[in-house]
Amino acid sequence: MVSDSPSAAVPAISIENLRFQYGEKQVIHDVTLDIPSREITAFIGPSGCGKSTLLRCFNRINDRIPGARVTGGSIRVAGIDIARPDLDLQTLRRRVGMVFQKWNPFPKSIFDNVAYGLRIHGEKDRSALEERVEYCLRRVALWDDVKDRLKSSAFGLSGGQQQRLCIARTIATRPDIILMDEPCSALDPLSTLKIEELLLELKNDYTIVIVTHNLAQASRCSDKTAFFFLGKLIEHGPTTKIFTKPDQQQTESYVSGAFG
Amino acid sequence: MENPEQLLRKGVHHEALKQGAVKAVLGGMAWGVVLIALLIFGRICWDGAPVLLKPEFPFVDTAFLTEKTETLHVFDDASGTRHSLPASEYHGWVEKHGAESIFNETTYSYSGGGIAGPIVGTALLTLLSIVLALFFGVSAAIYLSEYAKDGAFIRWVRLAILNLAGVPSIVFGLFGFAVFVLAAPVFTDTPSERSLLAIPLGFTWFSFQGWNSSLIAGSATLACMILPVIITASEESLKAVPQGFREASLALGATRWHTIRKCVLPFALPGILTSSILSLARAAGETAPIMFTVAVAAKDDFPWEGATGPLGVLQSQVQALPYHIYTLAARIPSSDYTQRAQYGSVFVFLLMIFLFSTVSIILRNRVRSKLKW
Amino acid sequence: MPDSPTPTSVPADHPFRRKGRSTDGLFRAFFAGNAGLTIVILVLIIVFLVREGAGFFPDYRKELVLYRKAGLEFVDLSRKDLTAHEQMSSLLNRAYYAQVNAACRTEFQRSQEVSAVISYVSDAVAPAQSALERVQERAGEEGVPKELQDSLSAKYKELLAAALAGKPGEGLPPTPHLSSEERRQLLSELEARDPLSSDDPPLVVALQEQLSAKQEQASAPLADFRAAIDAFADASLDLDTLVAETGDTVKATKEAATLHEIEIEKRATLLKAAASAKTEEAKAQFETEARESVTTEPVEFKTALQPVLDRTPDFKAANAALAAALAEVQRKLPASLEDPKAGRYLSAFRKAAGEYERELSDTVPAMAAWKHDAPVGLGSTIMGFITGRDWITGGEWQDFYGIVPLFTGSLLIAVIALSLAIPLGVGAAIYTNQLAGPGEQKFIKPTIEFLQAIPSVVLGFLGIAVLGTILQETSMKDAFSWVPGFPIQQRLNMFTAGCLLGLMAIPTIFSLSEDALNNVPSAFAEASDALGASKLQTIFRVVLPAAISGILAAVLLGLGRVIGETMVVLLVAGNRIEIPDFTEGLGVFFQPAHTLTGIIAQELGEVPFGSVHYRALFVVGMILFAIVLSINWTAQRLLHKFRIGHD
Repeated sequence: MVSDSPSAAVPAISIENLRFQYGEKQVIHDVTLDIPSREITAFIGPSGCGKSTLLRCFNRINDRIPGARVTGGSIRVAGIDIARPDLDLQTLRRRVGMVFQKWNPFPKSIFDNVAYGLRIHGEKDRSALEERVEYCLRRVALWDDVKDRLKSSAFGLSGGQQQRLCIARTIATRPDIILMDEPCSALDPLSTLKIEELLLELKNDYTIVIVTHNLAQASRCSDKTAFFFLGKLIEHGPTTKIFTKPDQQQTESYVSGAFG
Repeated sequence: MENPEQLLRKGVHHEALKQGAVKAVLGGMAWGVVLIALLIFGRICWDGAPVLLKPEFPFVDTAFLTEKTETLHVFDDASGTRHSLPASEYHGWVEKHGAESIFNETTYSYSGGGIAGPIVGTALLTLLSIVLALFFGVSAAIYLSEYAKDGAFIRWVRLAILNLAGVPSIVFGLFGFAVFVLAAPVFTDTPSERSLLAIPLGFTWFSFQGWNSSLIAGSATLACMILPVIITASEESLKAVPQGFREASLALGATRWHTIRKCVLPFALPGILTSSILSLARAAGETAPIMFTVAVAAKDDFPWEGATGPLGVLQSQVQALPYHIYTLAARIPSSDYTQRAQYGSVFVFLLMIFLFSTVSIILRNRVRSKLKW
Repeated sequence: MPDSPTPTSVPADHPFRRKGRSTDGLFRAFFAGNAGLTIVILVLIIVFLVREGAGFFPDYRKELVLYRKAGLEFVDLSRKDLTAHEQMSSLLNRAYYAQVNAACRTEFQRSQEVSAVISYVSDAVAPAQSALERVQERAGEEGVPKELQDSLSAKYKELLAAALAGKPGEGLPPTPHLSSEERRQLLSELEARDPLSSDDPPLVVALQEQLSAKQEQASAPLADFRAAIDAFADASLDLDTLVAETGDTVKATKEAATLHEIEIEKRATLLKAAASAKTEEAKAQFETEARESVTTEPVEFKTALQPVLDRTPDFKAANAALAAALAEVQRKLPASLEDPKAGRYLSAFRKAAGEYERELSDTVPAMAAWKHDAPVGLGSTIMGFITGRDWITGGEWQDFYGIVPLFTGSLLIAVIALSLAIPLGVGAAIYTNQLAGPGEQKFIKPTIEFLQAIPSVVLGFLGIAVLGTILQETSMKDAFSWVPGFPIQQRLNMFTAGCLLGLMAIPTIFSLSEDALNNVPSAFAEASDALGASKLQTIFRVVLPAAISGILAAVLLGLGRVIGETMVVLLVAGNRIEIPDFTEGLGVFFQPAHTLTGIIAQELGEVPFGSVHYRALFVVGMILFAIVLSINWTAQRLLHKFRIGHD
């Protein structure tokens, strides 16, 4: 079923019967889900329901954790099974970018942070780097704030600015998909609002998957929503449907704030 | 997504090759160091262990550990047979056969007999220094962790601890020599000429003229050297006792000292003792601080022999294993006849140090896993 | 509600009212006192180092004043030329012999190997052989009893057989430059040797003849060079005699002055005792003794020096002779020598010749300008200590305390140690922390930490007993003759010491670097991975830069440990108090040296209490203390900065 030609019909990510374990503990049970291109998909659910874990499977960043492994099913990114032995992991991760819950810029200058991804993929030309860095920083609406201090440490920025810097760093390598793991959970409401505006702006060019605890955020920004509970996918569909008339009782209790 | 085929690797995996090469180089370094360490242990065990072993049951020869150090005499007898005898046996041999039947005699200092003297000296030195250091070190740590509030005094104390930990051991030797050997206060009826200050007390004098080269001077020097380590480790152990223990005790109306004695120290003690064993290994292993403050190369009797009471022991000079090894390595020419004493001493010494270190590491792990609050 | 900022005291009968005095304050004071002990110790260290060391500069200055007044300095002006001249001719000699020996290197080695075998065998059979000789001597006319003769001969044969049976390398020394046939011949000749004869076996004689023939052959074309060297060396004879003669005069002056000073001091002590004497009788006794204590006249330096100054023309003539000889030998030197080592010595001579010529020409004006009563400033004394190139003690002539040779030794050894320990320590840390599996980690970490527990004196012993010998034997191998400084002349040298100190610094650098790498938040590595970086890119572009200040601190602390370490350098560095000869190029690392720490350990036990030498050692201690403390302080600053950067 591997499709080698680009096709609009192929979903950005398709998950089939995925099972996943940390050591002996099964955290994802038989999840099947398609994530469409150029839309924002939100994963919601109570803590520990496996939504972050699932997100971290898409770029195989879970490989870093000892004992974490996929025990069944498959994930296809653009039709390619990412468990294939001849998969180029570095390219996968470059094209499936990730923004983490806690902003984590490198202890380098602002410029070097954004240019890092380009440099490791072989870009040496100074003017090309500068151009791309400026573009990315403009894209995340950070350029005007930092253009005079590109050489200073990224740690000097505020939390919201650092998170936007991380997003700029992610889009610098021209990914197709951006995974966001609760990007706003540690931010104040004003910064959160800015990031959300950014998301809506970015979705024209990128497929975005966002894990969030903030139901209001999910309903505001996302096109599709998937609800997870205890490692199982309970329900998924267009956001408006999930939030107004979900099929499942559990989903309804959750989105109405009965638990979670 | 465009060009999904880019996700698949084509041809040789250069990155993996590069990573393999770098890993091999760095791994070679790590394992090289480990190999050198093992070679050193191996060499010392290979040459040193036979000194403590013998072919018959029970296979362990303790003579080397229990005999005193003697001069080794190597000579030929009239029939052309070569003998090598420690001084005590040598004199017996001479009495029996007469001095005229000894030819081609050479003597090797400190190479005969065993190393009982150095072992005893090192044991006394380490024990005394660790007792001193524990007393002062734990008290200081109690102040730092229980009483102290941030202030100028505390900052100075911490600075002093940090700097003291970096002072080279030979400077501690100089310090011990200048302070404990030459300037520490004693009670004496006849103050020495070079006394810094002699205060008449009527019946005797309180004179700053030093303790001379003695067990107490050496131990005090070593204690100063390991003090920062003990303070740091003790403070860590004290801080590891949960704050709740103290608060519970204080809330019941106990005084601060009572709280420390009953609710903090008992729980911190295993940690403190464990880390002090590591300092013990360091105190036992140092040579430079004891060179001028206590150690002698040759001594015929144990410190308690001929000493007047415990004070006499404290005032006597002792042999010490590290200094003995220094003497064997530097002062006598190496030959087949000195190897037994040299490698034997090094082997016993290393065994001792490793015993301390291993015990301390095992205890540390046990304490850490047991005492979790 | 009272409005005052200080609360009012508890009413007298209230239960909260404190009863009696609390002992808590006492405990607090006791513990605080113990904490203060650390400050006291640090202050005591500084105070006593300074107290014992402070007297050094005035005392040394006094010595230098006498050195000048008595005229020793005047003689040293020329003696310096003499020493330089000796060094120059030794350079030429080294060039000459390097050239000659290069030609007959093989023969030389063969002859040496044979000698080694013979001396090994002779040692082994010595007991029986000397007993045989003894009975022969004492036998007289009746002859030796047959029985004794037989038993001794049998013993001799037994020992000989045992010695000869040893394989090369274990027992018998190896002979890589002899063919197996020659070796067999040598052994059979030794076996057949008469126990009572001390003649060398024929093979040895033959080899020695070969060697001398080859030497002759090699030196024949160099005869002119040889003659030039000899002429150059002999040119200093006049100055040598002159310096020796005048040296005796000024030394006598100095000794007389010293004696007089001692007597004056003794008189002062006696007079003081007389002043505080309890009885008249004792007082009179002390006063008489005081009067009698001074037996010598004060030295009149000017007159005493006159005969030396009168010989200034002779000095000038001798100086001119040296300059002439230098010009002469430079004309006669061969343009180049074939052997690279010989060539290096020759060019070193040419390079030094200009300097030497300048020194020679400076001497005469310096002698003219020299005054015996010019003052010696304290500043110049201190500078003399810090920039002095000689550390000469316990001599009859004049003691000099110059720290440069010791400092150079410490520095060069630290360079060797760190250039080994930094790559190995940091490399091993990177591997263990980032690349190794958990099983490997569990083995590597404790083993390297155990390395730290090895006492330095044990490492020093291993350096003497094992490493020094291994290095020297390796350096003898023909395959390594291209390495600068090989073959190593001295078994104990800076390189051996540096290797062992590197081994001591590795655990420090390893543990602290590993900590630093471990402290890098995993979020950095995760972010880098998520951007598609490979493992190596993550390590070298993110983790390592983030840990760099911690690693630098680790290296600095390792340096502190290396500089402050005593026993290894004392045992292994070779203890030659000289500035290493940098004309050897990289071979300089294979020379022996002395160090700041080693000199204290070696000499403090032997110096008289309170002497200038004793005080000089404390000054060295002060300098060491300052160096190590500033290194550690910098490291702590780095670590501190590092912690703040990551919070």
